[in-house]
Amino acid sequence: MVSLARKNLLHDRLRFAITILGVAFAVTLVFVQVGLFLGLLDNASVTIENASADLWVTSKNTPNIDFSHTFPDVYVQRVRSIPGVARADNLIVWFMQMALPTGAQEGTEVYALEDFSAWNLPWKTTQGSLADLKRGPYFFLDSSAVRRYGPFAVGDYREIFERRLKIIGTTEEARSFTTTPITFMDFRLAQELAYQTMQAKTTYILVKLAPGADVNAVKAEIHRRLPHNDVFTKAEWAQRSRAYWVKNTGIGLNMYLTVFLGILVGIVVVAQTLYTATMEHLKEFGTVKAIGGGNRDIYAILAEQATIAALVGFAVGVVPSLLLKPAMTKIGLKLIVTPGFAVVVLVGTLVLCLVSAMVSFRKVAAIDPALVFRG
Amino acid sequence: MPVLEAHSVVKTFVEGRETVEVLRGVSLSVERGEVVALEGPSGSGKTTLLSILGCILTPSGGRVVVDGEVVDTGDTRVMRRLPAIRKRAIGFVFQQYNLFPALTALENVEYALEVKGMRGAEAHREAERVLDLVGLADRKKFLPRDLSGGQKQRVAIARALSGAPPILLADEPTANLDSQVGQQVLDLFRDLCRRENRALVVVTHDPKVRSIADRVVTIRDGRLSEPALAA
Repeated sequence: MVSLARKNLLHDRLRFAITILGVAFAVTLVFVQVGLFLGLLDNASVTIENASADLWVTSKNTPNIDFSHTFPDVYVQRVRSIPGVARADNLIVWFMQMALPTGAQEGTEVYALEDFSAWNLPWKTTQGSLADLKRGPYFFLDSSAVRRYGPFAVGDYREIFERRLKIIGTTEEARSFTTTPITFMDFRLAQELAYQTMQAKTTYILVKLAPGADVNAVKAEIHRRLPHNDVFTKAEWAQRSRAYWVKNTGIGLNMYLTVFLGILVGIVVVAQTLYTATMEHLKEFGTVKAIGGGNRDIYAILAEQATIAALVGFAVGVVPSLLLKPAMTKIGLKLIVTPGFAVVVLVGTLVLCLVSAMVSFRKVAAIDPALVFRG
Repeated sequence: MPVLEAHSVVKTFVEGRETVEVLRGVSLSVERGEVVALEGPSGSGKTTLLSILGCILTPSGGRVVVDGEVVDTGDTRVMRRLPAIRKRAIGFVFQQYNLFPALTALENVEYALEVKGMRGAEAHREAERVLDLVGLADRKKFLPRDLSGGQKQRVAIARALSGAPPILLADEPTANLDSQVGQQVLDLFRDLCRRENRALVVVTHDPKVRSIADRVVTIRDGRLSEPALAA
């Protein structure tokens, strides 16, 4: 089968290249912007997703995991006594100040538990043993902290709230949306460091359900026993934490705006090049009509050209997006490109190009086949 | 039995507030295998008549019968049938060749066949056959830009012949060719039409066309000088 669409498209290679670059630019822009956004959102809930808690008890109206509020740590006893609860422990998530060897002060986000191994937190340790955290004024520090704190090693000391603590281990992938480096320490040590606010207090209770327990029944019972707290499933809490940043900061709007601009650039470039190509091939389309073709035949040509532009543009656009991934990681940013997201972008690119081709449809419908007789 | 008939065809165009009558009751009949030259000065209505005979335009009055199908004043139903009639019954050859520049000679013919509904290997074979007929078997992989004017017109003739339409309509087919090549193309045209029993109407200013025509009709001010069929 002879493809006039493909042959015409490839016949003018410069125009084809411009069309492809336009589509590829839009694809790269969407991949990078949305990929970075997904990476940031992933940071917003990465500790929730990895912790092995089925339910999270928070103080009332806590907006996300980072912005925690305190409540009495004895509440955990009320939760432990509920039928269907296999285990419940206090978790402190709290911002503290760390003094660096340079004399500078930096914030750190402390995660404090009595038994880290029971909750899969942290989920990736690269040095040290978590069991040693209970043995003294020690802490684990995520390796991403190098960017903010400078180089550090196991055995180094840092001051947190003016108390000298020893780094006894390192972790990876523990991030927060705020980019503040995460440290892991024993629950009692965290209470001591921030004793003015944390004495006999916690910020969360992690709950593991017994096998076969009804999650809704346990949630309802926790709520009945702790009416001034909120209870979320893992999925609800992760969603709430992510949604906070999307809805309450400009980052969501910024992402939508960039995606919109990327799509607009793609539509304009594809529509403009296809329209110009249509105008230049009017006589050829007139010939198609003269030899018996209809508008539908010409629409099919334009649609095929748009589809080719979409597929090639997508393929060209996805390459820089993937190449940028390791570069982004080096500067501490996470670029997430999942297969599902790639499929959405591919379908979006196809729709974008087909919509662009429709700009030319009206012109084609008006072609008078008699123009083939004009010199 | 005529394969193409025009009965008292009238065509008017509205230009601003004026109505211009381009054809004023033209009647013509063409048999299979017959070659008719249609001559006339510029603006006499030759191309308009060719467009109506080729089902590109509909008449404002009168009627045209194309291979048994009646085409009269252009209501929507008639307009919708025109592409199908063109596909089945008519092959065009244009002054400017109107080949698709991105397609090879073979693909130009094959594509036209695909538009007409023929697909795959059948279209490929038929395209090769008609290119052989016009003597371009060794040029079928060439793009139009690599062909001479005469060769391009041969490809256009092959395209018009493909799919075996009973009627061929040619608009100044030798206008862009030198005298010798023009004559070769005309001879080829005549031979093919006779051999394949096609009717051929050639609009022309070129006196050489008379040498291959069975009949010459002249159009002047929208009227044929010697109608071939009584209205």
